[in-house]
This record gives sequence, C-alpha cells and structure tokens, in this order.
Amino acid sequence: MTLLHNYYESASIILFGIGLCTLMLNQNLIKKIIGMNIMDTSIFLFLVSKGYIAGRSAPIITENYQGVNAYVNPIPSALILTGIVVAVSVTAFLLALTIKLYESYGTVDLEEILKMKGDDHGVNNKLPFS
Amino acid sequence: MELITSFPLAEIFILFISAFLMPFFKKDKHIKIISISFLLIAFILSVFTLMFVFQNGPFYYAAGHIDTILGIQLYIGPVEALLSFVFLFVFILVVWFSFSTIDAEIQENRIKLFYIMVNLLAASILGIIFTNDIFNGYVFIEVAALTSCGIVVVKETQENIKAALKYLIMSTIGSGLILMGIAFIYAFTGHLNIELIHQVVLEDHETFQKSLLITVALFTAGLGVKSAMFPLHTWLPDAHSSAPTASSALLSAIVLKAFAFFLIKILYRMIGFDLVNQFSILTIILILGCCGMIFGSLSAIFQKNIKRLIAYSSIAQMGYVFFGIGLGSPFGAAIAVYHMVGHAVTKSALFMCSGLMIEETGHKTIDRYKGLGHEMPITFALFTLGAFSMIGIPILPGFISKWYLSLECIHLDKLLLIFVVLSSSLLNAVYYFPILINGFFGIENLQDKEYRSKKVPVKKTIPIAILILAMILIGALSKNILDFISPEFGL
Repeated sequence: MTLLHNYYESASIILFGIGLCTLMLNQNLIKKIIGMNIMDTSIFLFLVSKGYIAGRSAPIITENYQGVNAYVNPIPSALILTGIVVAVSVTAFLLALTIKLYESYGTVDLEEILKMKGDDHGVNNKLPFS
Repeated sequence: MELITSFPLAEIFILFISAFLMPFFKKDKHIKIISISFLLIAFILSVFTLMFVFQNGPFYYAAGHIDTILGIQLYIGPVEALLSFVFLFVFILVVWFSFSTIDAEIQENRIKLFYIMVNLLAASILGIIFTNDIFNGYVFIEVAALTSCGIVVVKETQENIKAALKYLIMSTIGSGLILMGIAFIYAFTGHLNIELIHQVVLEDHETFQKSLLITVALFTAGLGVKSAMFPLHTWLPDAHSSAPTASSALLSAIVLKAFAFFLIKILYRMIGFDLVNQFSILTIILILGCCGMIFGSLSAIFQKNIKRLIAYSSIAQMGYVFFGIGLGSPFGAAIAVYHMVGHAVTKSALFMCSGLMIEETGHKTIDRYKGLGHEMPITFALFTLGAFSMIGIPILPGFISKWYLSLECIHLDKLLLIFVVLSSSLLNAVYYFPILINGFFGIENLQDKEYRSKKVPVKKTIPIAILILAMILIGALSKNILDFISPEFGL
C-alpha cells in the first residue's frame, strides 16, 4: 500500500522506466532524444517531490521571518535547476548531431544507418577535404 | 601552506578560464600556445599539490569557504593528487603531439574548437577527481561527456558523427542512471557530501538496505557505461577508432579512468568497504571485469584496423581496473588505481604511435605494416615497449598490476581468477606480437611499396618517448607508488 501512497515516487519511477525503454529500444533518433528527456524529467520530479512539504512556502523571506518550520528545503530545487541546464545542453548537442547525421546519411533511423557500412576500415582517404 | 591547499581549485579554474579565453584569439598558433601554457601552469600546480600531500597527508578544501553541509568540498588525498598529476602530464604530452598532427586530420576552422574542448575536458576531469560532492561530480561528468563527444566529432566524417552520436546516447543513459542514484541517496541521507553520506550510511544502513543496494547498482551501471564496463562498451571501439589520434589518446587514456575512479570513490568512500562487501554488486563487477578482459582481447584479435585493435585492448585493460575494484579488498582498489596510472601513460603512447604509423603508410590496416620497423625504427620501438607493457613483460607497469592482482587473488583465496588474468595476458600477446613480428622481420614485404614520407621527424616522436620513459619509471617505482596510495584505502 505504501507504493500507492507515494504518488510522486511511483510516478517518477514509472516515467523513468518509460524514458529508459524509449531511449534504449527505439531506433529513431528523435524518439531516443524524447526518451532521454522523459527520463531526465522523471528524475526532476523525484527530486522535487523530495524537497516538497505540504503547506510550506518557498524559502524567500520578504518581510518577517516565520521560523524554520514554515519553509521547504531549497536544495533539491537548486539541484534540479542545474539538472535542467545540463539536460537542455545535452539535448541541444544531440539534436545538432542528429541534423549532421541526417545531412550525411539521409535518415534518422539508427538501424538503417548501421546497415550502410562505410568503407572506412582500410584506407585513410576519407578526410573531408583531401 | 594555506595557499597550496587552494591549488586544486585553481587548477580547475584556470583551465576553464583558458577555454573561454581562446575564442578571442584568431590565429591557430596562439590558440595552441594558450592551450599548452595553461595546461603547463595547471601541471606545475599539481606538482606542488602532490608534494604537499606527500609531506602533510590528505586535506579538504571548502570552495568559497562555505561550511561542509551546504558548500562544495574538495578532497585531495594521495590518490587524487597522483591521478591529477599523471593525467595532466599525459594531457600536456598529447597536446604537444597534436600540434604536429592535428592540422592534417581535421579542418582548419575546427582546430580552435578542438583545443577549447581539450582544455574544458582537462578541467572537468580534474573536477571529477577532486570533488567530494556527488552532485558537483555529476555536473563535471556531464561536462566531460559533452566535451569528449566534441573531440570525437571535431573531425567531421560520416563515421565520426555516427560514432559520436552513439557515444553521446550511451553517455546520456549513464548520466540518467547516475542522477537517479544521486536523487536516491539524497532522498534517504539528506546529504550530497561523500563524507557526510558515509556517516549516515554507517549509522542507519539497516533501515534502508534495499534502497542502498539500488543506489549502488544505479551508480555502477551509470559509471560502467561511461567507463566501458564489459556489456556496456559498444560505443567505445567506434568512438575511439574514428576520432583524431590525439582525441583517441585522451579518451582512452584519461576519460575512461576518471569515471572508473569516481566509481571507486562512490563504492569505497561513500559506502565503505565493509558495507559494500555485503552486496553482491562487487561480485558482478568482478565477473564483468573478467568478461571484459577476455572478450576485449578476443575481439581485438580479429581486428584489421590498428586503432580499433587498440580500442578493444582498452576494453580489456578497463577489465583489469574493474577486476581490481571487484575484488573488494583495499589492496585490490589500490592496484586498480595503479593500473589506471600505468595504463593512462601506456595507452596514450600506443595511440600516438599508431597515429604516426597511419600517417606514414596512409593505411589503417595492420597487414600493411609489415616491415614497418625498418621504415620508422624509433616509432616502432616505442610501440613495442608499450605493447610489452600491455602483454605484461616484467618491470613494465602492465606486468606489475597483473602480478599484484594475481597475488591478491591468492590472498583472497580466489584461485580460479588467476587463470583469467593469465589467459587474458596470453590473449594480449596473441594480438600484439603479430604486429611486432611482422613489423621487424617482414622486410621482404617492404619492396615495391611507396611510403608517403621516408622518415618521421624525430620531433614528432619526442612526446611518445617521454611517455614511454614515464611508463618505465612507473614500473620501476611501483613499490613507492603503491606505498603512497595504499593508506588512502586503509592499508
């Protein structure tokens, strides 16, 4: 029954599983990137739920300090901000590489790309400018 | 004294600053000078740090002087000081080597980007080594993952883009697992500092035994992907063989090791030897290490492309590191660290030699290298010495780590594992010796062949020669190095 009451944790682990499976099992690169984002978001949900305490406010003191028990723990939120920045930059890099890959192979399906074997196993003449 | 304790942070900072300085310069020559001079400054600082740790023992440094619970803390023990010293040494020599080869390998407008990436990578690797805060470690791991993909894709061929994408996707799986592990451990300890987590874990590990097991598994799988643990290594051969020579030397020699060292930190400093031995995780690491040693060597035997061969050899060598970690004894972990040091120096030298061979012959396949030992004697002699270390000829570091691993197996009463070490060593010989024998004794194959240039300039081989010399020194001083690092693991 505890599993049912920990909504956030259960939901985030389910999302994590969905994301990981999408990332690993899908051959389409765009779907892989989407899977990676779902996975990262699930971790953010998990962490942010750890910092949340019902009925408390964010630790921003405006006029009067209301004591320690009035505020939530800000560290998880700070961690998630960093995590989001990292996830965004990784996504950007992945998308950029995908565009490059699409330009040179004409497809974003990894299986088809792996079938098209380059002949770069012997001769070193495939330099882009030679 | 106070000043020296801030050197580790200064090393990380000046390397980051150097990376952000480079875009302001136009000429490639200036970029190269900035890259190597900042690496040199960091190296000098690391020498001071090493000497300081040697005299005064390990120390902590709170970044920004914020107290431990909130702030980011660095921990510099003997292992950290030694690894940062060796890695920066390898970085400098590889960057020096790259000056003469990188122009021919990548497009001109990419050279600047390459050196920016290299300095960012150096900074993030140092960060991973020094940090005592797991979330800070995660951020550095991400920077290292992005930049190491960057130095693969800097050479824009189809092959490279494919390899880099494969690497980045595997890497993101690893990062996701690591971040989940961090979230788990933060959820039930409330700390991010390795030392504080260790205290909490020691006190109430019985209340969250299963969560702890999941956390350790998440970290092991996540860092295992990044440091090419056996079934998760599929990205490595493509990425390391298609990258420019200097990049593959850095990736194989340093990046893999940093992640493996972070795993040692997690297992042995965060969880602790006693507790981690209760989990079956260590046995799994041990078995995967054995599989990596055997499988990596077996795959290397069938490779035609020299860089792919050396890349598969890296998987086998990482197998030794995981073998050492998986033994679950303090001395095993110390040998794992020693093997990282020895392998970092050797593998970078081997990759650089192979780069020169490819440049000289214009071919990547091994059967073209018959008689090459007469054509380029210095390079081939250095390659031979490096290969001897991989195979395990006495005095060289490869032999010493295998010897101590075997001794530790006897000590722990795991006699069967010695056969794994021995057979892996034999397999190493199976794929390195043909290159060497064909190289030196295949003179009849030299006729009717035109090589691009008759002689490799001696200048190009100096960095490799220094690395090989350092390798022999590491082998000769093995006892001192092991004595220096083993107090860290409680010996």
